[in-house]
Amino acid sequence: MIETTKIWQALGEVMDPELPISILDMGLIYDVRAQRQEVEVDLTFTAIACPAMTMIIDDVRDKLESLPDVASARVNVVWNPPWTKSRLTEQGREVLQSLGIAV
Amino acid sequence: MLPPEKDAELRQKIANGFIVETEDDMTPAYKAALEVILTVQGDTELVSAPAYYFASKDAPTINSRLAVYAIIQDELGHANIAYRLLEDLGVSKQWLIYGRAPHEFKHPYGFDQALENWAEMVVANGFFDRAGITLLADVHKNCSFGPWQRALTKVDREEVLHLRHGESWMKRLAKAGGAAREGLQRAVDWMFPMTLEWFGLPDHLKKHNDQLDYRLKGLTNDQLRQVWMSATVPLCDGIGIRVPAHYDSDKKVYEIEYEFPVAYDAKDKRWLFDQALTWQQVFQRWKQRGPMNQTYINMIQGDKNGVFGGLNW
Repeated sequence: MIETTKIWQALGEVMDPELPISILDMGLIYDVRAQRQEVEVDLTFTAIACPAMTMIIDDVRDKLESLPDVASARVNVVWNPPWTKSRLTEQGREVLQSLGIAV
Repeated sequence: MLPPEKDAELRQKIANGFIVETEDDMTPAYKAALEVILTVQGDTELVSAPAYYFASKDAPTINSRLAVYAIIQDELGHANIAYRLLEDLGVSKQWLIYGRAPHEFKHPYGFDQALENWAEMVVANGFFDRAGITLLADVHKNCSFGPWQRALTKVDREEVLHLRHGESWMKRLAKAGGAAREGLQRAVDWMFPMTLEWFGLPDHLKKHNDQLDYRLKGLTNDQLRQVWMSATVPLCDGIGIRVPAHYDSDKKVYEIEYEFPVAYDAKDKRWLFDQALTWQQVFQRWKQRGPMNQTYINMIQGDKNGVFGGLNW
Protein backbone atom coordinates (compact mmCIF):
# COMPACT_ATOMS: atom_id res chain seq x y z
CA MET A 1 0.00 0.00 0.00
CA ILE A 2 1.20 3.48 -0.84
CA GLU A 3 1.91 5.87 2.01
CA THR A 4 -0.29 8.94 2.03
CA THR A 5 2.77 11.16 2.57
CA LYS A 6 3.93 10.16 -0.91
CA ILE A 7 0.55 11.13 -2.32
CA TRP A 8 0.67 14.52 -0.66
CA GLN A 9 4.17 14.97 -2.00
CA ALA A 10 3.04 14.12 -5.55
CA LEU A 11 0.11 16.53 -5.28
CA GLY A 12 2.63 19.23 -4.39
CA GLU A 13 4.01 18.79 -7.92
CA VAL A 14 0.67 19.30 -9.68
CA MET A 15 0.61 22.88 -10.86
CA ASP A 16 -2.31 25.24 -11.38
CA PRO A 17 -2.82 25.38 -15.18
CA GLU A 18 -2.54 29.16 -15.20
CA LEU A 19 -0.44 30.29 -12.26
CA PRO A 20 3.01 29.09 -11.17
CA ILE A 21 1.66 27.62 -7.94
CA SER A 22 0.94 24.01 -6.93
CA ILE A 23 -2.61 22.96 -6.14
CA LEU A 24 -1.34 22.07 -2.67
CA ASP A 25 -0.10 25.63 -2.03
CA MET A 26 -3.41 26.83 -3.43
CA GLY A 27 -5.12 24.84 -0.67
CA LEU A 28 -7.32 22.76 -2.97
CA ILE A 29 -6.68 19.38 -1.30
CA TYR A 30 -8.85 18.49 1.70
CA ASP A 31 -8.04 14.84 2.22
CA VAL A 32 -6.19 11.89 0.79
CA ARG A 33 -7.03 8.22 1.34
CA ALA A 34 -5.33 5.09 0.11
CA GLN A 35 -6.49 1.53 0.11
CA ARG A 36 -4.31 -1.15 -1.46
CA GLN A 37 -3.41 0.41 -4.83
CA GLU A 38 -6.37 2.72 -5.00
CA VAL A 39 -6.17 6.37 -4.09
CA GLU A 40 -8.92 8.86 -3.48
CA VAL A 41 -8.41 12.60 -3.18
CA ASP A 42 -10.91 15.11 -1.81
CA LEU A 43 -10.36 18.26 -3.81
CA THR A 44 -12.12 21.59 -4.04
CA PHE A 45 -11.90 24.55 -6.43
CA THR A 46 -11.55 28.25 -5.71
CA ALA A 47 -14.84 28.95 -7.47
CA ILE A 48 -17.79 26.90 -8.69
CA ALA A 49 -17.26 28.38 -12.16
CA CYS A 50 -13.54 27.58 -12.27
CA PRO A 51 -12.72 27.16 -15.97
CA ALA A 52 -9.80 24.85 -15.25
CA MET A 53 -11.72 22.16 -13.36
CA THR A 54 -11.37 19.47 -16.02
CA MET A 55 -7.70 20.24 -16.51
CA ILE A 56 -6.94 20.06 -12.79
CA ILE A 57 -8.84 16.79 -12.32
CA ASP A 58 -7.04 15.27 -15.32
CA ASP A 59 -3.67 16.43 -14.01
CA VAL A 60 -4.26 15.03 -10.52
CA ARG A 61 -5.37 11.68 -11.88
CA ASP A 62 -2.45 11.48 -14.34
CA LYS A 63 0.05 12.40 -11.66
CA LEU A 64 -1.18 9.90 -9.08
CA GLU A 65 -1.60 7.07 -11.58
CA SER A 66 2.00 7.59 -12.65
CA LEU A 67 3.18 6.66 -9.13
CA PRO A 68 4.64 3.13 -8.90
CA ASP A 69 2.25 1.81 -6.26
CA VAL A 70 -0.96 3.33 -7.57
CA ALA A 71 -3.28 1.42 -9.89
CA SER A 72 -6.11 3.91 -9.98
CA ALA A 73 -6.84 7.37 -8.62
CA ARG A 74 -10.21 8.93 -8.05
CA VAL A 75 -10.85 12.64 -7.59
CA ASN A 76 -13.75 13.43 -5.33
CA VAL A 77 -14.81 17.06 -5.77
CA VAL A 78 -16.05 18.63 -2.54
CA TRP A 79 -17.49 22.08 -1.90
CA ASN A 80 -17.74 22.00 1.85
CA PRO A 81 -16.13 23.83 3.53
CA PRO A 82 -15.87 26.38 0.71
CA TRP A 83 -12.38 27.47 -0.35
CA THR A 84 -11.23 30.81 0.99
CA LYS A 85 -7.92 32.64 0.76
CA SER A 86 -7.08 31.42 4.25
CA ARG A 87 -6.41 28.01 2.71
CA LEU A 88 -3.37 29.32 0.81
CA THR A 89 -0.03 28.19 2.24
CA GLU A 90 2.57 30.82 3.13
CA GLN A 91 4.46 29.94 -0.04
CA GLY A 92 1.29 30.16 -2.12
CA ARG A 93 0.55 33.57 -0.66
CA GLU A 94 4.01 34.79 -1.64
CA VAL A 95 3.70 33.53 -5.22
CA LEU A 96 0.31 35.18 -5.73
CA GLN A 97 1.51 38.42 -4.21
CA SER A 98 4.54 38.44 -6.50
CA LEU A 99 2.11 38.21 -9.45
CA GLY A 100 0.18 41.22 -8.25
CA ILE A 101 -2.83 39.22 -7.03
CA ALA A 102 -4.31 40.54 -3.78
CA VAL A 103 -4.43 37.86 -1.06
CA MET B 1 8.79 63.09 -29.67
CA LEU B 2 12.12 62.90 -31.50
CA PRO B 3 12.35 64.66 -34.89
CA PRO B 4 12.21 62.45 -38.03
CA GLU B 5 15.91 63.00 -38.76
CA LYS B 6 16.78 61.10 -35.55
CA ASP B 7 15.32 57.92 -37.03
CA ALA B 8 18.58 56.29 -38.10
CA GLU B 9 20.03 57.04 -34.68
CA LEU B 10 17.01 55.49 -32.97
CA ARG B 11 17.26 52.34 -35.09
CA GLN B 12 20.92 52.06 -34.13
CA LYS B 13 20.17 52.51 -30.44
CA ILE B 14 17.43 49.89 -30.62
CA ALA B 15 19.79 47.49 -32.38
CA ASN B 16 22.10 47.94 -29.37
CA GLY B 17 19.35 46.99 -26.94
CA PHE B 18 17.71 50.35 -26.16
CA ILE B 19 14.21 50.07 -24.65
CA VAL B 20 11.68 52.71 -25.67
CA GLU B 21 9.54 53.80 -22.73
CA THR B 22 7.57 56.92 -23.72
CA GLU B 23 6.76 59.06 -26.71
CA ASP B 24 9.86 61.15 -25.91
CA ASP B 25 11.99 58.21 -27.04
CA MET B 26 10.16 57.75 -30.38
CA THR B 27 10.39 59.20 -33.86
CA PRO B 28 7.11 59.66 -35.79
CA ALA B 29 7.90 56.60 -37.93
CA TYR B 30 8.55 54.41 -34.87
CA LYS B 31 5.31 55.58 -33.32
CA ALA B 32 3.37 54.86 -36.51
CA ALA B 33 4.79 51.32 -36.73
CA LEU B 34 4.02 50.71 -33.05
CA GLU B 35 0.45 51.93 -33.48
CA VAL B 36 -0.11 49.51 -36.35
CA ILE B 37 1.16 46.44 -34.50
CA LEU B 38 -0.72 47.33 -31.29
CA THR B 39 -3.94 47.90 -33.23
CA VAL B 40 -3.64 44.54 -34.98
CA GLN B 41 -2.98 42.95 -31.61
CA GLY B 42 -5.91 44.62 -29.83
CA ASP B 43 -8.34 44.02 -32.67
CA THR B 44 -7.41 40.34 -32.93
CA GLU B 45 -8.04 39.80 -29.22
CA LEU B 46 -11.28 41.78 -29.34
CA VAL B 47 -12.87 40.05 -32.29
CA SER B 48 -12.02 36.59 -30.97
CA ALA B 49 -14.62 37.26 -28.26
CA PRO B 50 -17.77 37.21 -30.46
CA ALA B 51 -16.30 34.42 -32.60
CA TYR B 52 -15.72 32.23 -29.53
CA TYR B 53 -19.04 33.21 -28.01
CA PHE B 54 -21.06 31.84 -30.94
CA ALA B 55 -19.01 28.64 -30.97
CA SER B 56 -19.39 28.18 -27.20
CA LYS B 57 -23.09 27.46 -27.70
CA ASP B 58 -22.09 24.06 -29.03
CA ALA B 59 -20.01 23.18 -25.95
CA PRO B 60 -20.62 19.58 -24.90
CA THR B 61 -20.64 20.22 -21.12
CA ILE B 62 -21.26 23.10 -18.76
CA ASN B 63 -17.62 23.01 -17.66
CA SER B 64 -16.34 23.28 -21.19
CA ARG B 65 -18.69 26.17 -21.90
CA LEU B 66 -17.47 27.92 -18.77
CA ALA B 67 -13.90 27.40 -19.95
CA VAL B 68 -14.74 29.23 -23.18
CA TYR B 69 -16.37 32.08 -21.26
CA ALA B 70 -13.21 32.41 -19.16
CA ILE B 71 -11.18 32.48 -22.36
CA ILE B 72 -13.43 35.19 -23.81
CA GLN B 73 -12.98 37.24 -20.65
CA ASP B 74 -9.20 36.85 -20.94
CA GLU B 75 -9.24 37.92 -24.59
CA LEU B 76 -11.21 41.08 -23.80
CA GLY B 77 -8.65 41.85 -21.09
CA HIS B 78 -5.84 41.39 -23.61
CA ALA B 79 -7.57 43.73 -26.06
CA ASN B 80 -7.81 46.27 -23.27
CA ILE B 81 -4.06 46.08 -22.65
CA ALA B 82 -3.26 46.88 -26.29
CA TYR B 83 -5.87 49.66 -26.49
CA ARG B 84 -4.73 51.08 -23.16
CA LEU B 85 -1.17 51.35 -24.51
CA LEU B 86 -2.54 53.04 -27.62
CA GLU B 87 -4.33 55.52 -25.39
CA ASP B 88 -0.97 56.55 -23.94
CA LEU B 89 0.10 57.28 -27.52
CA GLY B 90 -2.90 59.58 -27.97
CA VAL B 91 -5.28 57.19 -29.74
CA SER B 92 -8.77 57.21 -28.28
CA LYS B 93 -9.95 53.85 -26.98
CA GLN B 94 -13.53 54.89 -27.54
CA TRP B 95 -12.75 55.55 -31.19
CA LEU B 96 -10.87 52.27 -31.52
CA ILE B 97 -13.84 50.25 -30.30
CA TYR B 98 -16.86 52.30 -31.37
CA GLY B 99 -15.61 54.78 -33.94
CA ARG B 100 -14.53 52.43 -36.69
CA ALA B 101 -16.54 50.62 -39.34
CA PRO B 102 -16.28 46.80 -39.32
CA HIS B 103 -13.93 46.67 -42.32
CA GLU B 104 -11.53 49.09 -40.64
CA PHE B 105 -10.58 46.67 -37.88
CA LYS B 106 -7.20 45.08 -38.44
CA HIS B 107 -7.59 41.53 -37.14
CA PRO B 108 -6.61 38.65 -39.43
CA TYR B 109 -9.00 37.27 -42.02
CA GLY B 110 -9.26 34.04 -40.00
CA PHE B 111 -11.34 35.89 -37.43
CA ASP B 112 -13.83 36.98 -40.09
CA GLN B 113 -14.98 33.38 -40.35
CA ALA B 114 -17.84 31.69 -38.55
CA LEU B 115 -16.87 29.17 -35.87
CA GLU B 116 -19.91 26.95 -36.04
CA ASN B 117 -19.32 23.97 -33.82
CA TRP B 118 -17.27 22.64 -30.92
CA ALA B 119 -14.58 21.17 -33.17
CA GLU B 120 -14.02 24.59 -34.77
CA MET B 121 -14.00 26.17 -31.33
CA VAL B 122 -11.24 23.96 -29.98
CA VAL B 123 -9.21 24.10 -33.19
CA ALA B 124 -9.42 27.89 -32.93
CA ASN B 125 -7.90 27.54 -29.45
CA GLY B 126 -5.33 25.05 -30.71
CA PHE B 127 -4.38 26.89 -33.94
CA PHE B 128 -5.40 30.55 -33.67
CA ASP B 129 -4.36 30.94 -30.04
CA ARG B 130 -1.16 29.07 -30.89
CA ALA B 131 -0.56 31.68 -33.61
CA GLY B 132 -1.25 34.39 -31.05
CA ILE B 133 1.17 32.98 -28.53
CA THR B 134 3.80 32.43 -31.25
CA LEU B 135 3.63 36.11 -32.13
CA LEU B 136 3.34 37.39 -28.57
CA ALA B 137 6.04 35.18 -27.08
CA ASP B 138 8.37 36.68 -29.67
CA VAL B 139 7.25 40.20 -28.75
CA HIS B 140 7.62 39.37 -25.07
CA LYS B 141 11.19 38.25 -25.70
CA ASN B 142 12.33 40.87 -28.18
CA CYS B 143 10.12 43.97 -28.24
CA SER B 144 11.85 47.34 -27.97
CA PHE B 145 8.72 48.98 -26.50
CA GLY B 146 9.04 48.35 -22.76
CA PRO B 147 5.45 48.92 -21.61
CA TRP B 148 4.09 46.36 -24.08
CA GLN B 149 6.87 43.86 -23.45
CA ARG B 150 6.15 43.91 -19.71
CA ALA B 151 2.37 43.76 -20.07
CA LEU B 152 2.65 40.50 -21.98
CA THR B 153 3.72 38.48 -18.92
CA LYS B 154 0.06 38.14 -17.94
CA VAL B 155 -1.14 37.70 -21.52
CA ASP B 156 1.27 34.86 -22.26
CA ARG B 157 0.27 32.99 -19.13
CA GLU B 158 -3.40 33.18 -20.01
CA GLU B 159 -2.85 32.20 -23.63
CA VAL B 160 -1.13 29.01 -22.43
CA LEU B 161 -4.38 28.02 -20.75
CA HIS B 162 -6.37 28.66 -23.96
CA LEU B 163 -3.92 26.58 -25.89
CA ARG B 164 -4.12 23.74 -23.45
CA HIS B 165 -7.90 23.85 -23.60
CA GLY B 166 -7.76 23.62 -27.39
CA GLU B 167 -5.14 20.92 -27.62
CA SER B 168 -6.61 18.67 -24.94
CA TRP B 169 -10.02 18.84 -26.61
CA MET B 170 -8.50 18.13 -30.03
CA LYS B 171 -6.94 14.99 -28.55
CA ARG B 172 -10.23 14.01 -26.96
CA LEU B 173 -12.23 14.45 -30.18
CA ALA B 174 -9.65 12.49 -32.17
CA LYS B 175 -9.75 9.67 -29.62
CA ALA B 176 -13.56 9.59 -29.61
CA GLY B 177 -13.54 8.61 -33.28
CA GLY B 178 -16.59 8.58 -35.53
CA ALA B 179 -18.42 11.83 -36.16
CA ALA B 180 -16.37 13.69 -33.51
CA ARG B 181 -13.15 12.80 -35.27
CA GLU B 182 -14.53 13.62 -38.72
CA GLY B 183 -15.72 17.01 -37.50
CA LEU B 184 -12.27 17.68 -36.10
CA GLN B 185 -10.64 16.78 -39.42
CA ARG B 186 -13.07 19.07 -41.28
CA ALA B 187 -12.23 21.96 -38.95
CA VAL B 188 -8.49 21.37 -39.33
CA ASP B 189 -8.86 21.18 -43.12
CA TRP B 190 -9.85 24.84 -43.40
CA MET B 191 -8.25 26.22 -40.25
CA PHE B 192 -4.71 24.94 -40.78
CA PRO B 193 -4.14 26.74 -44.12
CA MET B 194 -6.02 29.74 -42.69
CA THR B 195 -3.47 30.09 -39.90
CA LEU B 196 -0.52 29.57 -42.27
CA GLU B 197 -1.77 32.54 -44.29
CA TRP B 198 -2.24 34.57 -41.09
CA PHE B 199 1.54 35.04 -40.69
CA GLY B 200 1.60 36.98 -43.95
CA LEU B 201 4.00 37.68 -46.77
CA PRO B 202 6.95 35.25 -47.05
CA ASP B 203 10.35 36.77 -46.26
CA HIS B 204 11.69 36.66 -49.83
CA LEU B 205 8.85 38.93 -50.98
CA LYS B 206 9.13 41.37 -48.09
CA LYS B 207 11.32 44.29 -49.08
CA HIS B 208 11.42 46.41 -45.96
CA ASN B 209 10.17 45.72 -42.52
CA ASP B 210 9.73 48.47 -39.94
CA GLN B 211 8.48 46.01 -37.33
CA LEU B 212 11.80 44.15 -37.45
CA ASP B 213 13.99 47.24 -37.91
CA TYR B 214 12.46 48.85 -34.83
CA ARG B 215 12.54 45.44 -33.10
CA LEU B 216 8.83 45.61 -32.34
CA LYS B 217 9.13 41.89 -32.98
CA GLY B 218 12.20 39.70 -33.34
CA LEU B 219 11.27 36.93 -35.78
CA THR B 220 10.35 37.16 -39.48
CA ASN B 221 7.04 35.94 -40.91
CA ASP B 222 8.59 32.72 -42.20
CA GLN B 223 10.33 32.07 -38.89
CA LEU B 224 7.07 32.57 -37.00
CA ARG B 225 5.27 30.26 -39.45
CA GLN B 226 7.92 27.62 -38.74
CA VAL B 227 7.55 28.01 -34.97
CA TRP B 228 3.78 27.61 -35.34
CA MET B 229 4.11 24.49 -37.50
CA SER B 230 6.71 22.99 -35.16
CA ALA B 231 3.93 22.79 -32.55
CA THR B 232 0.82 22.13 -34.64
CA VAL B 233 2.15 19.58 -37.14
CA PRO B 234 3.44 17.14 -34.47
CA LEU B 235 0.22 17.67 -32.47
CA CYS B 236 -1.92 16.65 -35.46
CA ASP B 237 0.43 13.83 -36.52
CA GLY B 238 0.22 12.47 -32.98
CA ILE B 239 -3.56 12.20 -33.05
CA GLY B 240 -3.79 10.96 -36.64
CA ILE B 241 -5.27 14.15 -38.07
CA ARG B 242 -4.05 15.07 -41.57
CA VAL B 243 -2.46 18.45 -42.29
CA PRO B 244 -0.96 19.68 -45.58
CA ALA B 245 2.56 20.12 -44.15
CA HIS B 246 5.39 17.89 -42.96
CA TYR B 247 8.87 18.11 -41.52
CA ASP B 248 11.66 17.82 -44.06
CA SER B 249 14.51 16.32 -42.06
CA ASP B 250 17.12 17.10 -44.75
CA LYS B 251 16.28 20.79 -44.99
CA LYS B 252 15.32 20.89 -41.29
CA VAL B 253 12.19 22.92 -41.98
CA TYR B 254 8.46 22.33 -42.14
CA GLU B 255 7.30 22.22 -45.75
CA ILE B 256 3.85 23.30 -46.90
CA GLU B 257 2.49 20.70 -49.31
CA TYR B 258 0.70 22.99 -51.73
CA GLU B 259 1.48 26.04 -53.75
CA PHE B 260 1.15 28.68 -51.06
CA PRO B 261 -1.01 30.84 -51.03
CA VAL B 262 -4.19 29.59 -52.71
CA ALA B 263 -7.79 30.68 -53.26
CA TYR B 264 -10.38 30.25 -50.51
CA ASP B 265 -14.09 29.64 -50.85
CA ALA B 266 -15.39 31.38 -47.73
CA LYS B 267 -18.95 30.20 -48.27
CA ASP B 268 -18.03 26.52 -48.24
CA LYS B 269 -15.00 27.00 -45.95
CA ARG B 270 -12.85 25.23 -48.49
CA TRP B 271 -9.37 25.90 -49.87
CA LEU B 272 -9.01 25.56 -53.62
CA PHE B 273 -5.55 24.00 -53.60
CA ASP B 274 -5.31 23.96 -57.40
CA GLN B 275 -5.86 27.73 -57.64
CA ALA B 276 -2.62 29.42 -56.62
CA LEU B 277 -2.84 33.15 -55.87
CA THR B 278 -0.39 36.01 -55.71
CA TRP B 279 -0.06 37.68 -52.32
CA GLN B 280 -1.56 40.78 -53.92
CA GLN B 281 -4.73 38.74 -54.49
CA VAL B 282 -4.64 37.48 -50.91
CA PHE B 283 -4.38 41.04 -49.60
CA GLN B 284 -7.39 41.93 -51.72
CA ARG B 285 -9.43 39.11 -50.18
CA TRP B 286 -8.33 40.22 -46.69
CA LYS B 287 -9.27 43.81 -47.45
CA GLN B 288 -12.75 42.83 -48.57
CA ARG B 289 -13.05 41.06 -45.20
CA GLY B 290 -14.81 37.77 -44.59
CA PRO B 291 -18.40 36.64 -43.99
CA MET B 292 -18.69 37.37 -40.24
CA ASN B 293 -16.88 40.72 -40.13
CA GLN B 294 -20.01 42.85 -39.78
CA THR B 295 -21.79 40.48 -37.40
CA TYR B 296 -18.86 40.29 -35.01
CA ILE B 297 -18.13 44.01 -34.92
CA ASN B 298 -21.83 44.86 -34.60
CA MET B 299 -22.02 42.52 -31.67
CA ILE B 300 -19.11 44.27 -29.95
CA GLN B 301 -20.35 47.77 -30.70
CA GLY B 302 -24.01 47.05 -29.94
CA ASP B 303 -26.26 50.07 -30.20
CA LYS B 304 -23.30 52.44 -30.18
CA ASN B 305 -25.51 55.51 -30.67
CA GLY B 306 -28.07 54.50 -28.04
CA VAL B 307 -28.46 55.84 -24.52
CA PHE B 308 -25.93 53.37 -23.17
CA GLY B 309 -23.98 53.17 -26.42
CA GLY B 310 -20.24 53.55 -26.57
CA LEU B 311 -20.42 56.82 -28.46
CA ASN B 312 -22.36 58.44 -25.61
CA TRP B 313 -19.96 57.76 -22.75
